[in-house]
This record gives sequence, structure tokens and C-alpha cells, in this order.
Amino acid sequence: MGIMNFVPKVLDPVPGGKYVVNMVDYVVNWARANSLWPLTYGTSCCAIEMMSSSMARYDIARFGSEVFRDSPRQADLFIIAGTITEKMAPAVQMLWEQIPGPKYAIAMGACTISGGPFRYDNYSVVRGAEQVIPVDVYIPGCPPRPEALFNGLLKLREKIMKESYRNPWHEGETSKAGEIERWAEASKAWAAAEKIKDEEMAAAREAFKANPPEDYVAYKPVRVAKEAFPDVERPVVTEIGKSYKELYKIAKSVAPELSIFGKEDSSDETLDSLPKDLPLDVVVSKENYLKLVEFLKNDSRTKFEVLTDVVGVDWKDHFDVIAQLLSVEYGHKMFVRVSLPKDESIPEEKRATSLLASIPSLSSLFVGAELKEREVYDLFGIKFEGHPDLRRLFMPEDFVGYPLRKDFTHPHILKKPV
Amino acid sequence: MSNLPPGFREPSVEGEFEEYYLNMGPQHPSTHGALRLVIRLTGETIIEVVPHLGYIHRGMEKQAENLGYTQYIMMSDRQDYLTAIQNNLGVCLALEKGAGIGVPERAEYIRVIMTELGRIASHLVFYACYGGDLGGQTVLLYGFKEREMIHDIFEEVTGQRLTTNFFRPGGSRMDVPDTFIPRVKAFLAHLEKTLPDYDRLLTKNIALVERSVGVGKLTKEQALAYGCSGPVARASGVNYDVRKNDPYSIYSSLDFNVPVMYNGDCYDRYLIRWQEMYESIKIIKQCIEKFPAGPYRSKEKPNFKLPAGSFYAASETAKGLYGTYVVSTGGANPYRIHTRSPSFSNVSAVNAMAKGEKISDLVTILASIDPVIPEIDR
Ligand code: SF4
Repeated sequence: MGIMNFVPKVLDPVPGGKYVVNMVDYVVNWARANSLWPLTYGTSCCAIEMMSSSMARYDIARFGSEVFRDSPRQADLFIIAGTITEKMAPAVQMLWEQIPGPKYAIAMGACTISGGPFRYDNYSVVRGAEQVIPVDVYIPGCPPRPEALFNGLLKLREKIMKESYRNPWHEGETSKAGEIERWAEASKAWAAAEKIKDEEMAAAREAFKANPPEDYVAYKPVRVAKEAFPDVERPVVTEIGKSYKELYKIAKSVAPELSIFGKEDSSDETLDSLPKDLPLDVVVSKENYLKLVEFLKNDSRTKFEVLTDVVGVDWKDHFDVIAQLLSVEYGHKMFVRVSLPKDESIPEEKRATSLLASIPSLSSLFVGAELKEREVYDLFGIKFEGHPDLRRLFMPEDFVGYPLRKDFTHPHILKKPV
Repeated sequence: MSNLPPGFREPSVEGEFEEYYLNMGPQHPSTHGALRLVIRLTGETIIEVVPHLGYIHRGMEKQAENLGYTQYIMMSDRQDYLTAIQNNLGVCLALEKGAGIGVPERAEYIRVIMTELGRIASHLVFYACYGGDLGGQTVLLYGFKEREMIHDIFEEVTGQRLTTNFFRPGGSRMDVPDTFIPRVKAFLAHLEKTLPDYDRLLTKNIALVERSVGVGKLTKEQALAYGCSGPVARASGVNYDVRKNDPYSIYSSLDFNVPVMYNGDCYDRYLIRWQEMYESIKIIKQCIEKFPAGPYRSKEKPNFKLPAGSFYAASETAKGLYGTYVVSTGGANPYRIHTRSPSFSNVSAVNAMAKGEKISDLVTILASIDPVIPEIDR
């Protein structure tokens, strides 16, 4: 901008110079407002609506913003579409800093306003984009419709049209106030406005009652009969592939200590009484876990070739790790569960940050187990012995604690007020 | 070995070129969201790709422990927003199993029609993005055109374009309007005319063929070992579709084929989605013919709760096997909900696909997996 900033200083004192400045402002603003080039950026759901708005039906080109730039250095509008997580926040900040000024930001969607659906009880979401970068326009919605995005764009244009070389663009500020205080303030203002509204409404109602119009007929609500819905039986299902009895027998031959999860005994009657639409869920000891899964994978009668998932459950006094197996050929499924007692030798104050149990890794059998086990390691703090690359998967390396444990606490969690 | 950055483990090869690393993402136009890949290269050839996840990890599973059961359906919308309606169904199937609720016939038909429409919408986005990532902006515009029509139907039925939040245990949130069936019929008639056009536009395109035939090979063994599912696995010769092999809803009474291909390259992954779209049209047509009258849901349960126990349901979304695992202790909130997301397993195979390919092929490979990152990170 440089030299242009002196234009008002020089011209304003000159008679008639004001009008020249106004005109220059108008032309510059008009040009800026009508060709906002957005950055191609999107993290989640809202990004799809942003894409829709640039496609044939909605055609953002009508508003001069069709030139989505892949590099922040060529963009001047940052549409923050999608949730910002704490891991992503530094990247968002860097992108903003790389955009040359004058630049503008539109916060699209509830997530970028307040955290949206992820506001409460959440340890990883940044509650609002203004915590990270200065925002010009907020668009509510989850996700906002493309029309809403256009509305936001037009609002931004209005804002740009108010700029002038007397009052040039400057970078706004991110929210410095603590989030709780801001919300407390906002809700106080809201309550005050509500009170005024209530009083006005009450007064209006009184006035109406005292002096109703002549053709006024009191409104009578119509009652719609409540629809009655039937109780529907679930269809009868049969086991797919091998029956539970067979599967159980085959597995038992490898691991004699095998038992059925949630059942006292493993007699034939119990096996017959298991619900047929749920997979067979067996509990095995930690020692035989790897051996059993390897056997089930290779045996021609079971052929569990796919490890669909590895799931952890925290039962307060112990962990369960469940390997979910699937046979593509036969179609049967099986859950192999290991119950892992928590390591009691770790002192109380260190428990939240240390690994409390360990289990052999399945990564030697299934390559795909690597990432899945890293997820369990990351979220539960369970060690996988023999895993080639045990690092955190979702949370940053320096994150403290294991989120899916039942006793997990984190300073960033905001409890839902009741 | 030891001085490699985390995640890399291939031994160094003595070659003509020096090895170097390239970072892709978390903000990159063709990573389809906040995915970060670190690529190890020699010259232009990829030695190894290491995915770094979690840039959109929103802690849904932890949050669900403080939500009611049916409130988690809303979360499932936001996992894979391209197949939101199918995720709704996946969650509902698990909840129904737990609570022992049946579904009336009409509700089943609504479910199948809606999810199959969702599948077409998702595959159209795949088609658009695949073309777009390979440099064909025109395709991008076409793919989204028909998808908007599906979203019009969704909007009329559910009230939302994207995050539908429609199904409930026992049926759906509300009945479909009378215009639903005629509208779907009209849409299918339109689609049957336009799809072949789009097919002609891109499928035999020389640039597309050259860039995707033989690129990003995934063998059947690899697909199984990585736990891939959906079109990615079926393009590698894994004949598994939950709708066929473990049928839920009324799929067992419908006549459709599961396309399987055997080359396992990007082109097959592209073609297989075309065939799936045609199969979906076939399914919807059968449903329209038999669309019954009757209640759209079974008896409502106020304060929806599950008995203590753990429940699992698998369903087939456009991306693959979507599994919901619910653990209940009998309370009002789930004790634990875990989602098995198809994209997670599919993306974990990106290293196997990209090894030995050129750097520009990585974009093709990623597009052919059609991952949705929030579903991976959850
Ligand atoms: S506001 Fe809603 S739709 Fe947008 S990113 Fe957040 S959760 Fe997704």
C-alpha cells in the first residue's frame, strides 16, 4: 500500500480533494470486494458445502470468488470450513500468516464459532476459530447451506466497502479474553435483552386483551391424534459360515482356558442360546492370544484373514482388548478378547500418564494391525509388545494422558452446564 | 535405519539420486481434508509413505460416553459426511440389535432407497474428485450436478442436505412425503440418461487411462492383510460385500450383483464404483416397485436404553465395512461406542499402493481410495 496511504494526507486539505480520495477508495474497494480469492482449505463436513457452493448449481463465480487458490500466497480470503482441532491449530495459524494482507477470514459453521457439536466434554477441539486467527464474518449452521455462505460473502463485501485509505485495512485481533468470560458476558447481555423483550410482550398482550379488534376469534388448538406404532418382531437370523459350536471347539483346541464373554459356562446349550446376530465373543489369556489368532487365521476351517478392528474398553479395574476377526471366505466373525489387569505397581500420581497394561501385538500377522493398535495405544495407554512402531496416532506426541480411559481429565474439557 | 524419521523403516538403497523427504498436508488440495503424508523419495520414485493422522480427531468416542444412545446418530453424520445417511443406518442397526427392536416393512424400504441414493451421491463425488485431481475441472462440475439433485431429495425427506440424522432405532425420524417416490423415479430416469454421458466423458479418456492403469497396485493378500473393504478391496479381487455376505435390512430379498475386479489398480477402483452406481439404481428400482404402505417406524421407546452387554453391527457404506461396536452397562449413556471406519483401513494401505510409484501418482492413488479424513480420525 505504501504510498497510497499518504493520499488522504496530501489530498484531504486541498479543496475538493476529499472527493478524489473518496473516489479512489471506492474504486479500490470495489475491485477488492468483487474478486475475493479464497484459499482451498477444508477439514471436515463444512468443506463439502463450500465445494458445493463453487460447483454448477450454486456457482460462487457469480460473486467473483471462484478462483480457489491452492497456495495461501495467492489467496486473500480464508474460508475456515470445518472443525479446528488443537493439532491442526498451528497449521491454520501458519496458513493465515502466509496469506498476504489485506486478507479476510470467514468462519463457516458452528464448529468455527463455538466448537459446535464438539463444544462440551471434548478434549481436542478448539472452540471457535477466533481463538486462532482474527475472523471477519461468522456463518452459523451445521453445515451452513451454500446460500448462507454467499450471504456471508456479501456481508464481507459490505465490510470491505467501508474501508478507506483514511482507515486502511489492518489485521484484526484474535480473541484475548478467556472463553468462559466471553460467554458469561454474552449470556448476561442475552438475558438482559430477553427481559426487555418479555416486558414488552407482556405490555403488548395486556393492551391487546384490554382492547381486542372486533373480528378477533380466540385461537383453538387442534389436537392431532398421536400415531400408534406397532411392536415389530426382529427377523430370525441364522449363523453365517461355521456355527458357534464349531468355531468354539476349534478355538478351544488351541487355548484350553477359552471361555465365552459374559457367560459362566460354555456348554452346548449356552452356545446355542447365544444371539445369532452378534459375533462369537471369546475370552482368551494373554499368553495364548497371539497363538490363537495365528491359528484362527491360518486354519482352513476358520480362515479369519481379515482383522477388521482392534478395540479397547476400560472397565475401571481392567482393560479389555478385542481383536475383531472376519472371514471373507465363510462370512463368519469372531471377537477375541483379552482381559488385561491394570498394573498396580505404578504409584497413584503417575497412573494417568503411564502405560498400565501390555499385550502382544498382532502386527506380525496382519500389517493392518499396526495403525489400529497404535490407536488403542494412543487412546488407552496399553502397550503392544513387538509392535514395530508404537507412537501416538491421533494425539500430538506431547499430549498428556490417555483420553478414552474412564478417569481421564484434561484442562481443556468444558463440562456441559446442567 | 535408526536415523530415519519416525515411521520409516525401509533400508536405504544406493541409487543414482539422493534420498529426500517431502511433506504433504495437513493442508493440501488433494489430500481430501486434513491428512498429512510424509513421503520418502529417491528422485521422483516413492520409497515409502507414512501417514500422520489425527489432524481432525474430534474425540467423538469420548464425547459419546456423555451423550444418549440416539444422540450418537448425530455424531455418525459428521464422521463420513459423504455417506452420512449410511452411517446413521450403521449405528441404528447396532442399537436395534441391542434393544431387540424390529423394523416395519415400509421403514426398511425407506432405508434401502435412502442409503442407495447416498451411495450414488458418494460415488458421484468420487467421480468428480477423481477427475478433478487428475486435472479435469469439467468433471468436477458434472459430478456435483447430479449429486445436488440427490441432496434435494434428502432435504425434502430429512430436512438436511448433508448431515441427515434421519434413521432411528426401529425406523426413521419421520415418514417420507408423498412426493418421495415420484421424485426418486424422476431422478432415476434423469440419472440413467446422464450417467452414460459422464461415463463416456471420462472412462476412456486417454489421460485418465494412462495415469491410472497399473498404478497403485494392491494385491488380494495385501488388501486382506490391511483389512481393506468396500470398492478398494473389491477391486483387488476380494469378493466381500456386507449387503450380500452378511445381509442386513431387506438386502437378502433384493436382486443385485457385487462387482469384483482383479487388477487392484486405480483404474479398477474407478471402474468398480461405476458398476456399483448402476447396481444401486437397480436396487432402488426394485424397492420403488414394491414400496409398501404402513407405519414408518416401530413402537417408540422413550428414554432409549440398552440392556447390559456389547453389541456389534456391520453395514456397507460407499467406502466399505462400517462397524459399530456398542458396550452398555444398562445406563442411559453408552459405556463405550467404537466405530470401525472403512477409510481408516483403506488409507493404511496407501504405503503398499504407492511404493515404487512416481510422486505424481500418489495423488491418483489417494483419489482412488476416496478417503474421508474425519471418519478416520473420528
Ligand atoms: S459446523 Fe457442523 S458441519 Fe460444519 S464442520 Fe462443524 S460439525 Fe461439521
